[in-house]
Amino acid sequence: MTVPAWRRAALSVAMILLACLIAVPLYYVVVNTFKTQGEMVASPLSLPTSPVLDNYREVLSDPRMYRSFANTLYVTVVSVVLQLLVGALAAYAMVVRTSRLNRILANLLLIGFVVPGQSTLIPLYRTLVGFELVDTLNGLVVMYLGGAIFCYFLVQGYMRTLPFEVIEAARIDGAHDWQIFWHVVLPLIKPILVTVGIFQSMWVWNDFLLPTVFISSPDKRTVVLQVYNAVTEFTTNWPMFMTVSVIALVPMIIFFVATQRHIASGLLAGSVKG
Amino acid sequence: MKRRSRPTALAAFAAAALLALTACSGSEDGADADGKTTLTFLSWTGEEQMEQVIDAFEEAHPEIAVETSYSPPVAEYIQALQTRVLSGTAPDVFLIAAENKTNLIDGEHVVDISGEDFVENVAPFNLETYGRDGAYYGLSLSSWAAGYLYNKELLAEVGYDAVPETWDEFLEMCAKLQDAGITPFLESVDQMPTTISAWIGAKNDGMDPSLDDQIFSGESTFAEQWMPELEEYNRVFEEGLMSPDVVGLDGDQVRDEFANERVAVINGGPWYIGALREANPDLDFEFSLVPAVDGGTPFAAGAASPGYAINSKADEDKQEAAKTFLRWLATPEAVELFQSLTNDVTVTSDFEPPVDPAFEPMVPSIREGKLYLPMIAWQRAEDVLNVEAVAQIQRMIRGEIEPEQVAEALDTKLAAS
Amino acid sequence: MTTLSTRPTAGLRTSGTRAWLSRPSGGWRQSAANKAFLLPAIAVFVFLFIIPLGQTLWWSFTDFTGYSPEAAFVGLANYRVIVTDPSMLAGLAFTLLFGVGTTLLITLLAIPLAVQLNKAFRGRNLVRSIWFFPAIPSMAILGLVWRYILSPLESGALNTVLGKVGLGPVSWLSDPTLARLSVILVGVWAATGWHAVLYTAYLQSIPQEYYEVARIDGATPRQQFFGITLPLLTPAIVISTFLLMTGGLKVFDLPYTLTTGGPGFSTYTITQSIVVSGVGQGRYGLASALAVMFTLAVAALSFGQLWLTRLVEKRFA
Repeated sequence: MTVPAWRRAALSVAMILLACLIAVPLYYVVVNTFKTQGEMVASPLSLPTSPVLDNYREVLSDPRMYRSFANTLYVTVVSVVLQLLVGALAAYAMVVRTSRLNRILANLLLIGFVVPGQSTLIPLYRTLVGFELVDTLNGLVVMYLGGAIFCYFLVQGYMRTLPFEVIEAARIDGAHDWQIFWHVVLPLIKPILVTVGIFQSMWVWNDFLLPTVFISSPDKRTVVLQVYNAVTEFTTNWPMFMTVSVIALVPMIIFFVATQRHIASGLLAGSVKG
Repeated sequence: MKRRSRPTALAAFAAAALLALTACSGSEDGADADGKTTLTFLSWTGEEQMEQVIDAFEEAHPEIAVETSYSPPVAEYIQALQTRVLSGTAPDVFLIAAENKTNLIDGEHVVDISGEDFVENVAPFNLETYGRDGAYYGLSLSSWAAGYLYNKELLAEVGYDAVPETWDEFLEMCAKLQDAGITPFLESVDQMPTTISAWIGAKNDGMDPSLDDQIFSGESTFAEQWMPELEEYNRVFEEGLMSPDVVGLDGDQVRDEFANERVAVINGGPWYIGALREANPDLDFEFSLVPAVDGGTPFAAGAASPGYAINSKADEDKQEAAKTFLRWLATPEAVELFQSLTNDVTVTSDFEPPVDPAFEPMVPSIREGKLYLPMIAWQRAEDVLNVEAVAQIQRMIRGEIEPEQVAEALDTKLAAS
Repeated sequence: MTTLSTRPTAGLRTSGTRAWLSRPSGGWRQSAANKAFLLPAIAVFVFLFIIPLGQTLWWSFTDFTGYSPEAAFVGLANYRVIVTDPSMLAGLAFTLLFGVGTTLLITLLAIPLAVQLNKAFRGRNLVRSIWFFPAIPSMAILGLVWRYILSPLESGALNTVLGKVGLGPVSWLSDPTLARLSVILVGVWAATGWHAVLYTAYLQSIPQEYYEVARIDGATPRQQFFGITLPLLTPAIVISTFLLMTGGLKVFDLPYTLTTGGPGFSTYTITQSIVVSGVGQGRYGLASALAVMFTLAVAALSFGQLWLTRLVEKRFA
């Protein structure tokens, strides 16, 4: 609050310049969506001489694009909400009860981080075949539930830094575990829930590996599979590839911009505005 | 006050999700509701092109409906198909490719089509690529070939009108180009170099038993068969005619240099033509076979495209429908349609594919099956050997190892597999 | 969110947490609820991780091809192939370098970045979003774009810029050392923003009162950072470095799209070996053995590192 104005301005300038540098590769992606393939070949890094919107027009006129958007939205929302719920519940249970069994379990769960995903694909596929979940959106949701372990790990770490007197007080007031979890704990861990939620949404929204193996019907495709329509055996229509990618990513960008203030809201809100 | 509603909303949401979970599971049967046979098909060709082919087929054969799914080649396709084959959910028709042919044939997952009438018009080279012991497992309707692309204007500046027929003369030309301040040659080596594939192919052509039969039976070695070619290839780097920086380039980057007239000769295939014409309409270029070494003949790198295969685990009536599908795919009308959509060079005897004039020099090789790609000709451990070969050749290019060591590494790798 | 519960106070925090945690557990009801809370996570874990891992373990002792379910038991043959393969060592070297390198660099960059991003300045939300964006697009696109930027040709984006200030073209992706460095730097570029956001979230749990007291005592910003911020961020560091290490060792897409493992084997990773022999080659037994060994190695490394950072955390707590 005693930071002089000039220092704040200097910080602003420095941070914006640095961010511009970081954004250069993203600039290249966007610039090439306004080019034809020929122009990208001729000059991949320059601004388009006469920007063409054909790529966007072509992608947006395809009804399958909208269908795949809806599919992706469903899978992302359901799976991320479930991941967060499962992860946060487990984290809460682990943090409030540090029994020996829980400690062992806590370490065991970390195995989820060290398994290379490429190697468990076939066993998982066979299991899902058994449950008739292959080639269904819910099958994908089930697969993405694996992310709950990630949520658990991040949330439990955050919970450990919290003041538990509040929970204690609630318990003395006679609140049930579920009530405490819902009304006391969840609001407290909002920053980490939002952070993890954003991150997991990015993952699910963008994931290519699982849909390409688990989804075969065209009407159940996710957006990322549409991106790969531009890929053939020997060449890739990169401007088209990038255009579909950019369109697929717009919702994610809006989502991040809209939610990111929650990460640093709460405690710090006052001092930021002041 | 808002908070109150949330647990219920979430509970309702979870319940809906669970409901959907159970509801969605029982809808798959693909049976004949109106006497139609439904054929499942995993396409290698992109949706944009294949969709039109499928529409035309369904119009010609209203009794069969094709349910098509897509997976981009190569690695993703192989992975998706492998998982489905193993789990018993493989489509009725899929593509047999170099990467999976050994396993598909060994596991008896594919139907032998050698007795069918629709293979009669297809080039034997293509059928044999996806066959074994006289049986054919894939209907491969086209091939691809890669060679050199040269910029006619840049070559004319040093007095050439085409790429010479021998490697010695080619290197001579490169030296002249370099003296004239022109980058002579760039070859992308993120994969097996086109040059080496073509040379080994030229050597193998007419050999009996074939070069790879000898290596894989233990009669001969990579050291014995590949050494002269590796040494010749290394000359272009030793003589400073191509920068070792090519180890960091992929095909697209090499193509872009060529499109912008910054290099006289590159390696490449027909898939570059569209982008080159669009990027630089004035570019005067043509394809050529790879110049010969060691008294051989100019040759092309290339292979038969993946073939349509029938799932041997499919029901009898599905297999019949699948054969109808394949028979139709091999008709001149279907081949013509497919060719016009993909620009592939097709190899059925009753249809002459139109090609870009610049690609004309490569067409005889394709139609006669004079093509070679180590990875496809190799008889086991293809992928592992290919990764090893590319990495070791890159090290040779960078001067870290000698050509002998490349060949030795391949022999070691083969022995260990 | 204006309930009192969201505003913890500094005084309560330090004395309270430990006492509360070490408290003996309550009655059976509490314990049952506790178990019920854990149940979904355990189900997910068993179903999606343990069972597939068990299956992989079994396949690692067989000649399974990945195409036909029948497979013959071959004992330790697959493991023997792996330990005698020289290119395995090359893959191991870069995998380790990438895991350790990105973990260190990202941690060193993300913490100060988070502190800056937590301050009030004009355009903060925009800057924070931009830092986060590299985490969004697929690696296939980013790999392509970075290949153009780091192209060893004179026409490469970075080399064009260097050329303008009189520096010759640099062989970014064609020199083994520079290629390794490039892959690591792109990895750092892609993940620093997201870890900074993670640290930002943790910064919210540091009570502002600490800083106010420190300021009154005349502590410089530097002293505040090392005296308050860093020690209180240790739980976040434990988590972030664990994620970075496990993710870094398992990396596949980035080196694959940027260099396909080249030049030579200089950026070849273990995961690439698993994919090449399992998917490409139909030697799923061998790939499984590789996966098992790799899982054990990653576990040993990252759990060791976790144990180490937790020791440090305890010292600061």
